[in-house]
Amino acid sequence: MSEDEGMVSGFPGWSATATSILNGCVGDYLARRDNGLAIDMAFYGGGKPLPLMPDSLRADLHTPTRKLCVLLHGLCCHEGVWNYPADPARSYGSALRDDLGYTPLFLRYNTGLPIPYNGKSLDTLLEKLLLAYPEPVDEIVLIGHSMGGLVLRGACHYGVERDAPWVRLVSRAFYLGTPHEGAMLEKVAHLMTSVLRAVPHPVTALVGDVAGQRSQGVKDLRNGTTVDADDLIGAVPWLASAQHYLIAGTVTDDPGHLAARLFGDGLVQPPRAGDNVRLFPGVGHMDLAHDEAVYDQIRTWCASA
Amino acid sequence: MELETVRQIRGAKELVEEAVDAATARIGEVQRVMTRKPYAVLALVTPIALPVRAIEEAHLHVVDGVYFAIRLGNRLAGLLAGYALDRLEAHALGKPAP
Repeated sequence: MSEDEGMVSGFPGWSATATSILNGCVGDYLARRDNGLAIDMAFYGGGKPLPLMPDSLRADLHTPTRKLCVLLHGLCCHEGVWNYPADPARSYGSALRDDLGYTPLFLRYNTGLPIPYNGKSLDTLLEKLLLAYPEPVDEIVLIGHSMGGLVLRGACHYGVERDAPWVRLVSRAFYLGTPHEGAMLEKVAHLMTSVLRAVPHPVTALVGDVAGQRSQGVKDLRNGTTVDADDLIGAVPWLASAQHYLIAGTVTDDPGHLAARLFGDGLVQPPRAGDNVRLFPGVGHMDLAHDEAVYDQIRTWCASA
Repeated sequence: MELETVRQIRGAKELVEEAVDAATARIGEVQRVMTRKPYAVLALVTPIALPVRAIEEAHLHVVDGVYFAIRLGNRLAGLLAGYALDRLEAHALGKPAP
C-alpha cells in the first residue's frame, strides 16, 4: 500500500509534505536542475495528479457539476492545507460541493518558482481543464490562500491579456491572508540578508549567501509580485468581471492589540477595511485555510447574487 | 517500488550531493580566508616570516585535503546510490538490471 492510500481520502502523506516544503524553499533551483523532486503544477485528488481527460475527470470527480471551485494553497504547502485538522475529509472545497454544488479542484504547484511564472502556468492549466471538463462550465470560483491568492491574480491578468475563455467564467475570487502589498517577514529577511552580505567578514557573508539561496517564489512575496515587470508597468488591475473578497486574520482576539497590528495573522498584515474585506480576529495565517467561521463567510458571499 | 518514488529518491540524492559539494566548496573558501589571517600577522615579524609561510602552506594543504576528501566521499556515495537506483528503476520498468 502506498503512503497516500493509507491516509484519509485526499490527505497527502508526509513525503508530499516534505517535498512541498522543499519546493517552497528551493523549488526554482529544483526546476532548473530538472530534479525529480520538483512539483509540476496539476490538480490533485487522493494525493495524485488528475489527468486532464474527460473520462478520467468524470471518474475522478464522481459527479462533476457546471460550477467549479479552484483552490490554491500557499508557500511550502499542498492541497492538504485545506483539510480541517479535526475532520480531514472536510475542506472548503468539499463543503462548497455539499452546500452549493461547486465541484472542487485542488491545485498543487511548485511554490518556489516565480509567482508570475506560476500565474502563467495556471492560466494555461485552466484553459486545458475547460477543454477536458466533461460538462459545460457556467461559473468558476477561485480561492487562494496566501501566495495562492497572488498566483490566481497573476493567472487572471495573463488570461485577460490573451482573452482566455476561462476568465469570462470567473465570478468570484477569494484571497485568504494574501500579501497583496508584500509580506513583512520576507522584507525583514531581505534586509537581514543584505546586512549580512555587507558585513566585511567571510562567515557573515557565508550566512548571507545561504539565506540568499531562498527561492524566487519566496522573494516575490516581498512586494506581492504577481506579474513580470516586463509585462506590466504599474499596479496589476483586479479582474473587472469578477467580485473580489479579501479575508484576513490576526494573531490576537483583539485586532487593535499591538501584536495584531505588528504581526497581522502571524505572517501577513491585514488589508485596509472595505466592503469586501472581512477580518477574523484570533485566526492565524495557516488556520485561514480551514476555519469554520471563514467558510461560513465564503459560503455567504458565494450564495449572494 | 513505483517509478515516481524512484524518481523522487533520485532527486533527493542529487540534491544532497549538490548541496554537500557546494557547501564544502564555500565553507572551504571561508576557512582558507580565516586560516590565513593569523599567519598574515605573524609573517609581519621578519625573523620568523619564512617558517611562518612554510607552516601556513602546510596548514592550507591539510585544510584543502580535508574538503577534497569530503567531496570525493560525496561523489563516491552518489555514484553508488545512483547505481542502486538504476537497478531499482530497471526493476520498476520490468527491464533487466544494468
